[in-house]
Amino acid sequence: MKANIKKGKITIAIAIGIACFALVFVMLMQFKIVNQTDITAIENMRETELRTELANWKAKYEETELKYEEIREKIDEYKETKQSNEETEKLVDDELEQVNMTLGKTYVEGEGIEVTLRDTENEEISKISSSDLLVIVNALKLAGAEAISINEERIVNMSDIVTINDTFIKVNGQRILAPYIIKAIGNQTYLESALLGNGGYVDELKKIGHDVSIVKINKVKINQYNDEIKIKYME
Amino acid sequence: MKNKKAISIVLGLMCFALTLGICVQLKTVKGSNSVISQNYEENNLKAEVLRYKEKYDNKYKELEKAEKELEEERQKSIENNSYLEQKEEEIKQGNKIIGMTEVTGAGVIVTLSDSKKDASTALNVSELLVHDADVLSVINELKNAGAEAISINDQRLVPTSSIVCGGNIIEINGEKVGAPFEIKAIGLPEQLAALSRPGGYLEILKGATVGVDLKKLNSITIPKYTGVITYKYAQNSK
Repeated sequence: MKANIKKGKITIAIAIGIACFALVFVMLMQFKIVNQTDITAIENMRETELRTELANWKAKYEETELKYEEIREKIDEYKETKQSNEETEKLVDDELEQVNMTLGKTYVEGEGIEVTLRDTENEEISKISSSDLLVIVNALKLAGAEAISINEERIVNMSDIVTINDTFIKVNGQRILAPYIIKAIGNQTYLESALLGNGGYVDELKKIGHDVSIVKINKVKINQYNDEIKIKYME
Repeated sequence: MKNKKAISIVLGLMCFALTLGICVQLKTVKGSNSVISQNYEENNLKAEVLRYKEKYDNKYKELEKAEKELEEERQKSIENNSYLEQKEEEIKQGNKIIGMTEVTGAGVIVTLSDSKKDASTALNVSELLVHDADVLSVINELKNAGAEAISINDQRLVPTSSIVCGGNIIEINGEKVGAPFEIKAIGLPEQLAALSRPGGYLEILKGATVGVDLKKLNSITIPKYTGVITYKYAQNSK
């Protein structure tokens, strides 16, 4: 009888032991799964980032494709014209004009915006500075501006915007006076929203009390760069 | 008998606790099912990004080849015509200036790095970091000092280049670059080095305890812009 009871107890103990083991095992497995899903939650946050990244590469690819087709066309045209001087000259002129356009050596027009910044009479508000203009030009470029000028001074690759003696602003070495009129050609909505709303620089300036206005214009005309662009040091 | 009762109660409680634990966990895993499907979506996105990157790389290589071919074709067409040869020279010079070719020359290399100071000792951590506005100002000063070509971490500045802050990195030409920022500029080295003059912007940055270094060099190579400049809105007039 005693042995019987003992046997029964041992069986029960073993059964319970196995059950406990199984339960703990299942729990551990589940812990592991939950841990892993935590990592995916972090990765999950980057989905919007991935979408912008994808849009970027798509745009870059399409742009390159377009440019490629354009160049292939030009190659064919050169091949066709062969030694006919007149036609060749036209092709060379076209290419030169395109380069000059990017250099800023041509007059350009197209849809865009005009930003006007006026100094206020209020002496407590600081005047518009060269770095204000610098930041706005940078924001416009980010928004895809294809050509920019400040008070008719065309912004080219090596254009500088500086304050001299804390008194006046020079663009391309030329003195400019307030009001400052920044013209930009590009997608009107993009250009405008780059300056307005959510941290937009023009909004910031307005908050301080500056007098800034933006108008959309269907045909913005932008001046050419007036000086010769000389290079002396680079090969 | 009493003993047996106590044991079964303890066991009962244990079983209950374990079951509860499992139930909670099962629920959590069920809830994260949607996360897993989103993760799948994300992997798809990642694959798509890589696919387009590769497509772009291949297209860009093709473009480079085509550009070379165009130059050859152009040269063939204008042979023995000094008038057109002069124009072709202008095209080449123009491409150099806008950043479509690699260039070399004397100049300076400015390196801006985040401060090595312990952030916990600073009043304002932001002061120890290089910001996009700092890079923008240094670039502007280099242009003012007569720079002819500039690159930041080998991203060539072209007329459409912008510099924007994206967290602890900066985006130039749509490419992300991180500190330290190595700014190369070609031009008269003495004049470019004036950037470190007293009261100049580099001095101001040093005051803000950002790491600043300026080196004059006889020969610097600045890479070409790896992208295209196209126009959708602007047209030549006149």
